[in-house]
Amino acid sequence: MKIHIVKRDTCPFWKKCCYYAGAVLLALLLGAALLASMGVDPIAYYTRMFTMGTVGNKIAYKVWINYLKELVPLALTSVALSLAFKMKFWNIGGEGQFILGAIGAAFVAVKAGPILPGWLTLTLMCVAAMVVAGLYGLFVAALKVRFGTNETLMTLMLNYVALYVLIFLGEDKGAWNFFLDPDSLRPVFASFSDIISFPSIPMGDKFSLNICVVLTVLIGVLVYVYLKHTKHGYEIAVVGDSAGSAKYAGMKVNTIVLRTVFLSAALIGLAAAFKVGTAGILSTAITDDVGWTGIIVAWLSQLNTAVIFVVSALICVLHYGSTVAAATFSQVDSSFANMLQGVILFLVLAADFYTRFRVVIVKKGGKDNG
Amino acid sequence: MSEAYAIELKGITKTFGSVVANKNVDLNVRPGEILALLGENGSGKTTLMNMLSGIYQPDGGEIFVDGQRVSIDSPEDAKRLGIGMVHQHFKLVDVFSAADNIWVGKEKAGLFLKKERNTQIREMALKFGFDIDPEKKVYDMSVSEKQTLEIIKVLYYGAKIIILDEPTAVLTVQEVRKLFDVLRKMKEEGHSIIIITHKLNEVMEISDRVAILRKGEYITTVDTATTTEQALTEWMVGRKIDLNIERTPMNRTRPLLEVRDLTIRSDAGSIAIDGVDFYIRGGEILGVAGIAGCGQKELCEAIAGLRPLEKGKMIHKGENIVGLTPKQILEKGISMSFIPEDRLGMGLAPSLSITDNMILKKYADTKGPFVDRKIGRADAEEVIRELEVVTPSTETPVRRLSGGNVQKVLLGREIKAGPNVIITAYPVRGLDINSSYAIYNILNKQKQEGVGILFVGEDLDVMIALCDKIMVLCHGKVMGVVHAHKTTKEELGLMMTGALDLTYKYEDKPAGLAKDTRFGETEEEAAE
Repeated sequence: MKIHIVKRDTCPFWKKCCYYAGAVLLALLLGAALLASMGVDPIAYYTRMFTMGTVGNKIAYKVWINYLKELVPLALTSVALSLAFKMKFWNIGGEGQFILGAIGAAFVAVKAGPILPGWLTLTLMCVAAMVVAGLYGLFVAALKVRFGTNETLMTLMLNYVALYVLIFLGEDKGAWNFFLDPDSLRPVFASFSDIISFPSIPMGDKFSLNICVVLTVLIGVLVYVYLKHTKHGYEIAVVGDSAGSAKYAGMKVNTIVLRTVFLSAALIGLAAAFKVGTAGILSTAITDDVGWTGIIVAWLSQLNTAVIFVVSALICVLHYGSTVAAATFSQVDSSFANMLQGVILFLVLAADFYTRFRVVIVKKGGKDNG
Repeated sequence: MSEAYAIELKGITKTFGSVVANKNVDLNVRPGEILALLGENGSGKTTLMNMLSGIYQPDGGEIFVDGQRVSIDSPEDAKRLGIGMVHQHFKLVDVFSAADNIWVGKEKAGLFLKKERNTQIREMALKFGFDIDPEKKVYDMSVSEKQTLEIIKVLYYGAKIIILDEPTAVLTVQEVRKLFDVLRKMKEEGHSIIIITHKLNEVMEISDRVAILRKGEYITTVDTATTTEQALTEWMVGRKIDLNIERTPMNRTRPLLEVRDLTIRSDAGSIAIDGVDFYIRGGEILGVAGIAGCGQKELCEAIAGLRPLEKGKMIHKGENIVGLTPKQILEKGISMSFIPEDRLGMGLAPSLSITDNMILKKYADTKGPFVDRKIGRADAEEVIRELEVVTPSTETPVRRLSGGNVQKVLLGREIKAGPNVIITAYPVRGLDINSSYAIYNILNKQKQEGVGILFVGEDLDVMIALCDKIMVLCHGKVMGVVHAHKTTKEELGLMMTGALDLTYKYEDKPAGLAKDTRFGETEEEAAE
């Protein structure tokens, strides 16, 4: 007996949905088994996690505000990554670009915050973050275009360069280091939340919607239109699909690559500016791993901008909810969410395989026709 | 069984989806003989050999090795049965030495690299008269050295039956001679050799018998000694079928595209096109005939501006086009469509819809930042209607269409752009008769409208019926330009293999130079 893998011609939409839903369900079941083995009631845990503790909570609006704070950088980073991924440029450097963007934004906040009006500082923070992160990405794209270097390796390694720059800024107590709190004996990042912060739009009596959420949704719509309906988006699709055909059609492939990667990295920088501008402080954990998680989200969404928002919202529920649940169930660490996320990704990718291939079992010798 | 064969195939059939690659093929190889496998492109030679080497499994039929019925399910099975194949595209690890490339595939090599491997392999190379350094890295090797290594590899694994897929395509004349010496030596040692080639002169020189395939079907096997190149050509190409393609009389215009002394290098760096002259008038179809890979692709790419020239001049309506970008050449009205072996590589974005592919060359022409898909959709609908493209909708990804429909989409778009020169290579590659005729009709219609067409083709019957003139290439050189209504397939075949050179058939001028050339008009530009 032998196993053959046969390519499917088509897979109906409902079948795809079933496969994906089945994969998520299976992942949750595996998680439940693990929870049960730790002596935790899986249903109670999942209920707590998926409601993020909002049920019966008097300050549920705070949960939502904090939840959105986590969602914004993740969704925006995934959207940005999808731009590069659509072109088959494997930008694994979301972390590094995010960190440099954050440093750029913090620089403006510290230096310009006390002098300039608030709105101008915030705008400058965004611009600075986008330019710095964008150039960091552009550097890799330029190397690829000029020397044919592998962008996956380059962006990956530059993540660590950026991270150690940030750690250096967080630990060097030199007199020049304006990122640190001058009043503290130990090296800690200075908070500028009382100087500058992104404003919120009050809604209802308690809840207020941070402007970053509105901007992120707006950018999502713009990127959707950019990819689907503009000439640039068309070029990205063609270059990603067949660089040979793009050249043949007279496209300037190198320019398109440079432009798109800059835009992708710049949007990640913007996500960092949003994060820094709401947190009001740098930290070595400023990225919250969105550069990594964003890759997963972009892939799970199959680079569809609208789906990215849905998937990142769900992933955030997972993360935020597990932190909340960890407070109630002390034996389960909040990194349970990471594990669950990994299992989900793994199983969804497996399901993806089954939407494209069928497994056929062939009996040895049966094909000989005797 | 009256005779003992090293390998015998009976009724082998293989289909890929709806394409029948091999249909009921019988083939046998005696021990210690060289069998040449002859056939046009797409006649199923490589598919058949891939079944022997375990890459594909036949859908029907039987394989016997030394009289024993076998089932070859994997390359490992083939190796165990003593069948080794040297593929057209080498399967070597670049950063390994010659010896390590052989060692890596050895079944009982053990965990550790042993020093003796170098001496062992050197000794075995010497036995067959190979000249190779076992410690040389593959990336330092020339093409012929890599091929030698591939042959040593299959011999080392104990192959008694060796299959060579177009081994001479990449070699120089001297290297071919060396290879043939090796093959003869192997034959003396009792090895059976199957050699796939297009070159009739080589078939005559090296083989004992010749098996011929045509369009996936087995035609016959003949003794080389009792046959002629003409007879082989006829078997290979088949009887002349009456193609009702009307060759519309051409209205001669002055040359649209003229090419002088064109020299182009291939990706590998060898000379692919060597000092070629030709011209295309409006309202004529110039065919380009030649065995596969003798510079057709490089020629098309160079005209479209996709490949730099080594030297040479190209003028379009008297204006220099050398050094222009692909976009500028497009704007001059020169359209190029090349159908590669995989049919999707060039000119189409396979994951995008028909609509999106329609606008590939003109999406930038509209104003504003947005893509106007309305134009694309209208074009798509028109092409689907006029060329009878079978597709669920205009939004179907091109990848999902069948080969013939993909080619119709590609050619339809090129014609929609209203070019004055069409360069088209293998437009009917892999198409059935009906789709092929649809394509011929499209080309004829364009010709009547005064478009100059360069038609790079495979099927000589079609070229004789469709083209006005035929230029024959052999190893990147022009063997002559003949009038299609005056030539014969035999003549073309001889020219293709380099046996006949008609470059100076017409005494007054070499082939490929127009009497009413526009080159004089642009002396200054051309001089650069």
